[in-house]
Amino acid sequence: MAVRPILIYPDPRLKQAAAAVAEDDGSVADLIQDLVDTMVAAGHSVGIAAPQIGDLRRVMVVDVSSSKLGQQQSNHGLLEMVNPRIIERSGSRVFREGCMSVPEYTGNVTRAEHIVFEFTDRHGRLRVVESSGFEAVAIQHELDHLDGLLFLDRVSSLKTDVFRRKRG
Amino acid sequence: MQHFALTIVGRDRPGIVAQVTEILFNLGCNIADSSCSILGGQFAMILIISHPQFTSRDSFGEAFRPLEDADLTVALRVLKPGGEVPPHFEGEICMISVYGADRPGIVYRVAQVLGAKRINITDLNTKLVGSEQRPVYVMIIEAILPAGVSEQEVDVWMTPLREQLQVDINVRTIPQVEL
Repeated sequence: MAVRPILIYPDPRLKQAAAAVAEDDGSVADLIQDLVDTMVAAGHSVGIAAPQIGDLRRVMVVDVSSSKLGQQQSNHGLLEMVNPRIIERSGSRVFREGCMSVPEYTGNVTRAEHIVFEFTDRHGRLRVVESSGFEAVAIQHELDHLDGLLFLDRVSSLKTDVFRRKRG
Repeated sequence: MQHFALTIVGRDRPGIVAQVTEILFNLGCNIADSSCSILGGQFAMILIISHPQFTSRDSFGEAFRPLEDADLTVALRVLKPGGEVPPHFEGEICMISVYGADRPGIVYRVAQVLGAKRINITDLNTKLVGSEQRPVYVMIIEAILPAGVSEQEVDVWMTPLREQLQVDINVRTIPQVEL
C-alpha cells in the first residue's frame, strides 16, 4: 500500500489514546499494510503502532525476526495485531529503548520479561500468544503507543535513564 | 553563548529549588542541564546555565546573595568554550552494583579498576543503608564499555575485589533497542 510519514513528538496525536477497531471496519487491512510498509521502509524498526502514522485506531505490527537481538531468541515473525491486550505479565527486565517518534533520545525502561497477549489478526481471528524477551518488550512498547504513552512516561530518572543518542 | 556551572548546597528544606530558579528566571538565565538531589541531610543542586549577555562571574552581580543569606553555599564556575557539550556515549551501557558491609575503600577500589582500564563512569551513586549496628554500603555505577570490552570481562576484573572487599558485585549490560 504505502509508506507513511512517522509522526515525531511533540505531535499531539502521539499522546492520545487510540480507539478500539470496530468489527465491521473494512479498512483495517489497508492500515495493517501501511504499518508493515512503513516499518520495513524504516529499515531498523522492529515495530510500529498506528498512532505513529497518525491513525488513532488500536492496530500495531511487530517483527523482531530481522533484528540481531530478535534472532537470538524465539520469535513469532511478523505479528499484525488489532485491538491487542496483554492478559498476563511476569518477570522484569531493562532495555534501553529508542523510539522513531522520539528521535535522539534513549531511555532505560523496565518491562515485563514474559507476556501472554491476545489480539485479532488481519483475518478477524482471535489469537492468544506468549512472548518473552526482546519481542515481548517490543510488543509492550508498541502497545504503549496505543494508550498515548511514550517511553519517556516510563523512565524514573532523567539523570540515569535518559540519554541523548549519539548523533550520526 | 557563555555557559556556567552553578552548584548550590545547603541543609534540605522545602523551597530551595523555587528560590534558586526564581533568581535564575529573573536574571534571564537558561538552565541547560541540571541534577539536584538530597545527599544526607543536604540538598545539592548542580546546574549548567547560560545567559545571552553574561560573560563572566561579575555579570551575576549580587544575584546569589539572598541564597547565601539563607545558609546555602553557592559556587559558580565559568566554563571554557565547549564545556557545556555532553560527550558522545559510544559503546554498551553497563550497570555495576556493589554492596556489602561498610568498609573503607569500596568506591576507590572499584573506580580504580575502571579508571585503569579507561572505562568511562557516567553515573555513580552510593548510599549507606541497613541498620546502625549492621551498616550496608550500596554503590551503583553506570559506565560505558567501549568496543571490545564485554560484560564478562568487567566481571572478571571485579573478581579480586569481591574477595578483598568482601562485597557482592553484579555486572550487567543494558541492551539498546530501536523500537
